[in-house]
Amino acid sequence: MGASKLSGMQKQVLSLYRGFLRAARSKPIEDRKRIEMIVSTEFRHNSKEVDRKNFQYIEYLLRLGTKQLDQLKSPDIISLSSVKVVASKT
Amino acid sequence: MAFGLIGRVVGTKPSRLSTAARLIPARWTSTGSEAQSKASSGGGGANLKTFQIYRWNPDNPGKPELQDYKIDLKDCGPMVLDALIKIKNEMDPSLTFRRSCREGICGSCAMNIDGCNGLACLTKIESGSKETTITPLPHMFVIKDLVVDMTNFYNQYKSIEPWLKRKNPASVPGKEILQSKKDRAKLDGMYECILCACCSTSCPSYWWNPESYLGPAALLHANRWISDSRDEYTKERLEAIDDEFKLYRCHTILNCARACPKGLNPGKQITHIKQLQQSG
Repeated sequence: MGASKLSGMQKQVLSLYRGFLRAARSKPIEDRKRIEMIVSTEFRHNSKEVDRKNFQYIEYLLRLGTKQLDQLKSPDIISLSSVKVVASKT
Repeated sequence: MAFGLIGRVVGTKPSRLSTAARLIPARWTSTGSEAQSKASSGGGGANLKTFQIYRWNPDNPGKPELQDYKIDLKDCGPMVLDALIKIKNEMDPSLTFRRSCREGICGSCAMNIDGCNGLACLTKIESGSKETTITPLPHMFVIKDLVVDMTNFYNQYKSIEPWLKRKNPASVPGKEILQSKKDRAKLDGMYECILCACCSTSCPSYWWNPESYLGPAALLHANRWISDSRDEYTKERLEAIDDEFKLYRCHTILNCARACPKGLNPGKQITHIKQLQQSG
């Protein structure tokens, strides 16, 4: 980034990222590392792939992330895991 | 009101039996071809109708688009939902929409058809060669194609506490709380609501304030519990929604009554609440 003034949407993305890291702090240490890794790879991947002007998609991802964060915050949830799916061209 | 609803459902069932028998086995499997061969006995592909359907895929995000599909109406059931299922079955399996009961009671298939909100399973396909435009419910966040995010709508419904609340136990403990026929009749026109969100998403006031204004559907249910003679928290319920934004964003635009697929009038119920607020 390195932009001098962050736009509202950029601030939302950053606060979501911070929220995930904070939620990870409340989990056991092994799961915490896994959560941090998954979340940071996802955010970095999207920041490179997604066009900065594609507001609809960014808002969609923000809503999805907020829902996932609400689920993660619950004390019953202990960890995140992710599966890599390769889309086949049929 | 209940009378009229029963009449409508019974009326449509017998005439749709033949199409239902064809459509039910041919759901989202490859038996679509069998249904086709049974049906294509009648004439050449006359009576084509074009459907313009809103498409947006979060996996390949770009700009949302209206995609054209041509359907032979001879080969298709009378309702818009039949056309959508036919398109998904035969032409484009990636078309995504919610559906469940196909008889107008679950409220899953609520969408905007030719500019008016309604249930796809209850909206007849307009005959004639004009194109039909199908878009998701207006001013709602889109998850994919015609599927919208209803969490805000459901949270607003939850916020009015739609359950019976009593301070004193029932007069005969362990038995039902009695209610006269007259008191039960007060609930007619409110209990039939299926929470399809057609009314709330047709209200311009709800478009501009979706987080603060409760919307016609939630207010209709609020009135349902306020008017229930068995409920003892009427005063608290009225105070809870006596708010500049929660209730008084309603400016009696009455788009809600026009959009409701069950024929209910949320605007009337909101006026009733406002009257109670005035007098109480």
